[in-house]
Amino acid sequence: MHHATIDRWSRGQSAIHRLDARAKILSLLIVLIAVGTAPTAGIWRTGAGFGALAVASASLARLPLVGVFTRSLAVLPFSLTFAVIVYVTGDAYQASALLIKSYISASFVLLLVSTTPLPHLLRGLERLGFPAMLVLVIQYLYRYLFVVSREAQHMRTAAISRGFQRAGFRVAAGAVATLFARSYHRAEGIHRAMIARGFERHIPILAAERLRLSDGLLVLLTLGIAVIIRTGAMR
Amino acid sequence: MHIPDGFLSTPVWVALDVASLPAVGYVARRAGSKLEESRVPLLGVMGAFVFAAQMINFPVGAGTSGHLVGGALLSIALGPKAAIVVMTAILFVQALVFQDGGILALGANIMNMAVAGVLAGWLPYQLWGGGRFRSAAIVAAGTLSVLVSASLAVSELLVSGVSMSSSVLGLSFALFLVSALIEGFITLAVVKGIESINPSWIQKPATAAPAVRALTASSVVLAGVGVLFASGAPDGLEHLSEAIGIAGRQYTLLPTPLADYELEGVSSEWLRRAAAGLIGLALMFGLCRLLAKGIVNRRS
Repeated sequence: MHHATIDRWSRGQSAIHRLDARAKILSLLIVLIAVGTAPTAGIWRTGAGFGALAVASASLARLPLVGVFTRSLAVLPFSLTFAVIVYVTGDAYQASALLIKSYISASFVLLLVSTTPLPHLLRGLERLGFPAMLVLVIQYLYRYLFVVSREAQHMRTAAISRGFQRAGFRVAAGAVATLFARSYHRAEGIHRAMIARGFERHIPILAAERLRLSDGLLVLLTLGIAVIIRTGAMR
Repeated sequence: MHIPDGFLSTPVWVALDVASLPAVGYVARRAGSKLEESRVPLLGVMGAFVFAAQMINFPVGAGTSGHLVGGALLSIALGPKAAIVVMTAILFVQALVFQDGGILALGANIMNMAVAGVLAGWLPYQLWGGGRFRSAAIVAAGTLSVLVSASLAVSELLVSGVSMSSSVLGLSFALFLVSALIEGFITLAVVKGIESINPSWIQKPATAAPAVRALTASSVVLAGVGVLFASGAPDGLEHLSEAIGIAGRQYTLLPTPLADYELEGVSSEWLRRAAAGLIGLALMFGLCRLLAKGIVNRRS
């Protein structure tokens, strides 16, 4: 599955994987702002510049290039729909700008999550001032996403094996309600187990949390490259 | 309707990030301090539940099927504060892991789906969920939740200068209305199902004063009529979008006096407009708070 692959990539070994999550988040924001605020005029050159930067970063992180850049196509259902609408309305240039901007932005987000394990990423967000409660909820969500999804799949298999080839509306609603009940019970069990293990509203991670020189360099380098690409595209 | 990065113009995403991230932070802190600790894992697992529930298809006739969106269901089951936190967490995971929705556009998506969507789903249930019209209230909750989120997303795109013809707009509003109604009926069926397993999992709506009910009913009807008018008369919407935005990209977030006199002393054009819009929002908020205080004082 999609997330399992990203999870595996994020635990790789490279200079980029070793950087601090906070530095990578800031660099991502710099790139996203540079791409997002780029004027429609010269969008092809801006796109080419940041596309090259994305390819360079992905190969530096030793990520499979084809895999990363086909996964970024996940953004297309939305952007293609609206690009077609804009194109039909008569603005072909804006349509291409929307496609380029959304695709490039999505691939940089994918680069961040496939070079940083999600727990480290969330810890970085928390250190950057995100509400701890929200970060904790996201942690739980991500950890139990696959457990609950598998539960839903089991329920579907069980229904099919009992002859529900196409479930009716009421049956589907019953399935969702059952899933809700099981999730509720599971959450209670999880909480009891965590209390028993000495949980203190904080999931510890095994990573150094000191910013190093290389982290600062990454942010400065990203800023410099973004400015160069943007000014280069203006001319 | 997860808006990716690159679609919203800079003033729009900046303003919505500035508005919604602190709002969610505040709600999260309030929810965190008020809830017992055992609710924190519950919120996360409920987020996972919404993800998984979206894999279950509901046949809706004509060979098509829909699935749960979840904003209204969460606000009915967990209450609005917890639901806002859970929806925000879902949007984060969708944006980061599934490339569904952008990072800079996260504020916009949170505003549309987590804040406005949840509150729009909570309101009808809170007002009429206790009385004779309970089922209708739950259907209205699901419908309004999706309708409000989708309309906000389209307005943000329009204000950002994404050009859409009036016929496309009319068509998409018709589609939104259909999928919103589907969400309403799915929400009703699921709430009934959950209640048959354990009634205490569904929040009991508070009893509101008749005046408040009437006021809210009229505002909901007005909003509904507005949407119907927009979908029935796309030319009107086109005219509206001409007036508020696309032509020369002169737009106002609120038709207040602030819209006309842009803040002086701020150099950048869009910064002035965004600031004017934000101050307008803040003024409206303050006004509503004062009114609410007055009403409460008079009643007590």
